[in-house]
Amino acid sequence: MPTPLIINGEHRVSWRDSMTPLIDVLRDEFSLTGAKSVCREGVCGACTVHIDGQPTVSCLVPIGTVGDREIRTVESLAAGGELSPLQQVMEEHDVVQCGMCFPGILMVLTSFLHERPHADRDEIKAALVGNICRCTGYERVVDAAAALARRS
Amino acid sequence: MTSPGDERLFMAGSVAEALAALADRGCEGAPFAGGTSIMRLPIWGAPQAAFYVGVGRIPELNAIDVGDDRIRIGACVTHSRLVAQLAGTAPCDGLVAAAGSAASPSIRGMATVGGNLCAWHFSAADLPPPLLCLDAEVELRSTAGVERIAVERFLAIRQDMEPGTLVTAVIIPRRPFLTGNARLLMRTAGDNPVATVSLAAMLGQNGLVEDIRIAVGSVERSARRWPRLEQRLKGLALEARKAGELAETELDAFTGRDGIDAPGWYRVQVLPALVRRAAAAALHS
Repeated sequence: MPTPLIINGEHRVSWRDSMTPLIDVLRDEFSLTGAKSVCREGVCGACTVHIDGQPTVSCLVPIGTVGDREIRTVESLAAGGELSPLQQVMEEHDVVQCGMCFPGILMVLTSFLHERPHADRDEIKAALVGNICRCTGYERVVDAAAALARRS
Repeated sequence: MTSPGDERLFMAGSVAEALAALADRGCEGAPFAGGTSIMRLPIWGAPQAAFYVGVGRIPELNAIDVGDDRIRIGACVTHSRLVAQLAGTAPCDGLVAAAGSAASPSIRGMATVGGNLCAWHFSAADLPPPLLCLDAEVELRSTAGVERIAVERFLAIRQDMEPGTLVTAVIIPRRPFLTGNARLLMRTAGDNPVATVSLAAMLGQNGLVEDIRIAVGSVERSARRWPRLEQRLKGLALEARKAGELAETELDAFTGRDGIDAPGWYRVQVLPALVRRAAAAALHS
């Protein structure tokens, strides 16, 4: 049975079981592979997407519960092919390592810095407690986010 | 609202719809709220129910009603919304601290009050200890009617509830309690607590403890109160250090559960420090 979804502004239909985790539909059915399927228990944050603007671990969301709420994935951040300010500052600070955790970090920080554009380092760290970096590159992530917060 | 999907999930638009769907499915059906436990069952090697009734979008279950004599929290209120709406509202400081420090921001935006209470297999649940201290009641509904039971009783029977029963709200009486909550993590944040202590104290005009509740979570299989320590503290001035010292003498009240995060003895051993911190937090509430 079809499940309609709104993903990055587009109306899509999934044919998977309604209890299927959203991360699997994004990656396997719609080829949106930015969100990563890693821990699959909501601990590491690599699968984070926005649902109605709220960072959400997509491994714990059955598609049948999403309804008419809008899903945004990391692919939507570079609208029109131009990197978002957060993505730009991450590039400037040479933050990316293996890239597994990075899409989730971008989604969390995009939402967080929208709500708290002048956040300090401690607030940024607190916002990222649900994002585990296997490369342990946290300091550069925080440096970059703090630099963006200082600019705004 | 119904799911256009298959027969494994029905998204209820009202409590009546949810109860009818649960009654229809009997033992095969179960409510689905935030999903932060249910979606992890496969990874834990446990089976999911054959059929779920989604209750997370029902407006009544997402409401918080703050009255003069009681606070009613809908079962599907998330930890984040609880914090946003009850911060600074007496006597909820301990409860707000527990909800606001649970897991990670993303999980706090999904996990619900009702789900946290129902997760009988999750010993480290953050909300039972403060709710025990607040003398909270759990509102249960089924097609047979409405029932309210003490949260302590609910924790004891939750694994064996009649099929078709839905937790619809938690009701907290507003009493002049000072409340605090303290938890110990093995990481700085984003982890399940090794142990949790929640405390609610009512002080008399002379500043001495008239009434007190202390509850411990994550140490044993289910959260529970610490009656002997409560008795020891009644009639004394509430001093954080003294409370911790008295806790040292009452540790045989608990048998800690062994887990991969910490051995049982360690969970018990850290309780005096947590009692001290919870008392200090209550005094600053």
